[in-house]
Amino acid sequence: MKDIILELKNVRKSFEAKQIHNGVSFHLRQGETVGLLGYSGTGKSVLLRSIIGLEDIDSGEILYHNNRIDQLSEEALFKVRTKISYAFQSGALFDSMNVFENVAYPLFEHTDLSEEEVEIKVDAILNLVAMKESKRLMPSDLSGGMQKRVGLARSMALSPEILLYDEPTAGLDPVNVDLILEIMKKFKSAGFSGIFVTHDIPAALKVCDRLLILKDGVIHFNGTPQEFEESQDDFIKTFSNSDN
Amino acid sequence: MMTNKIRKNLILVGEVTEFFNSFLKCLFSRPFYLNRLYEQIIELGLGSLSITIVIGLVTGMVMTLQFGYGLEKFGGTLYVPAIVSLSLIRELAPIFTSLLIAGRIGSGISAEIGAMNVTQQIDALRALGTSPIRVLVVPRILASLITLPLLAIFSGIVGIFGGMIIAYTEFNIPTGFYINKVLSNITYVDIFGSMFKCCFFALFITLLACYKGFHTREGTRGVGNSAIWVVVRTSMIILVSDFFLSKLLILVFS
Repeated sequence: MKDIILELKNVRKSFEAKQIHNGVSFHLRQGETVGLLGYSGTGKSVLLRSIIGLEDIDSGEILYHNNRIDQLSEEALFKVRTKISYAFQSGALFDSMNVFENVAYPLFEHTDLSEEEVEIKVDAILNLVAMKESKRLMPSDLSGGMQKRVGLARSMALSPEILLYDEPTAGLDPVNVDLILEIMKKFKSAGFSGIFVTHDIPAALKVCDRLLILKDGVIHFNGTPQEFEESQDDFIKTFSNSDN
Repeated sequence: MMTNKIRKNLILVGEVTEFFNSFLKCLFSRPFYLNRLYEQIIELGLGSLSITIVIGLVTGMVMTLQFGYGLEKFGGTLYVPAIVSLSLIRELAPIFTSLLIAGRIGSGISAEIGAMNVTQQIDALRALGTSPIRVLVVPRILASLITLPLLAIFSGIVGIFGGMIIAYTEFNIPTGFYINKVLSNITYVDIFGSMFKCCFFALFITLLACYKGFHTREGTRGVGNSAIWVVVRTSMIILVSDFFLSKLLILVFS
């Protein structure tokens, strides 16, 4: 069994009076892709944001390679964020930069690569997400699916150890969904780990090694896709038959 | 109600102070984004140059016209060059230029950063391991600290030139006499004082604009509200603080 690289222990988070997470615990192993599912408003995206410190947690522990990262300062977190990358639901592309500049941004910030080397690397990543032909386009010229693909490419640029996917298939047509899932599979087959937040159960079943279901602020289910499909739990049955 | 308002304002002061501290931390530590600073100087400085020229020129011309006809009744037309140049350099050029920058740049910065905030671009900067304060705030504040004093002095010079044209055409004041009077009345202290005020205004305009941009909520509506908030607050701060800064400069240099 491979090493645990990320672990959450009893994580609690609230927004004013509303308790979002009430003791979330789970772990992620090297090379594993975990699906994080649940109804809207259960705090799936907040959990991803908490992992990389975009949200502060109220209590609990988040460990990366057995080192606590939930108490790190913003400056110290910058280093962690080059290893744990976050793909935003909307893409969150920099609208003043074109596709190439968006993907090249983390490379110019965190590596000593020359402009030529960056160009070669960006071309390779854009090729992976089928966006190489559009590298001079601005984000405003791209469709929603293309923006998500560029967002994914940008988050992969530094070859992070863990990629946090925040609903990368939401609002996309079936062709684009398949394209995104293929990209995720390629990333997974390269040995990288990921947490995939989604409402899309069939998509999660295709790419995930394990599924987590968030309910009432805790992990209600933690098992393989097969265990999920065979589960006799009433909530899981209702959830798997619903449109979320 | 009143207590609530005081509480809100105290929270605002605390947050702005914390924001300023973050700026100072980033200002004195690596990495530095010199290319971004250069871009901002071009955008803030050169972008505001034409309107600064117009405002300076018109202010100088109007001032000369009004003082000229006003003082003519008492035979004091010859005092026009000194009055116009001193009031332009000491007060009008820094105030008008700062108000202009507050409107043009302050609202622009808060809207731009606010839009980045509501579209998660600031979160994206953080998620990519970079400090948004370092990338967005430091170059803007430094650029305004560099450009605003220079723009104000330039505006004052253009205003004096505009006054010279009116003094000659309307009141037959010889150009040589006008220039001589201007140079003998304006001192380095006047220029330094004007630039000092502008640095103070520049810091407040960009600091508040960036702060508001970072705290913009409620989507596009929030972006518009932030821009209005910045223009109103910074204009008030400029006008009110100008009195105290002028008093301070008089106390120090008199």
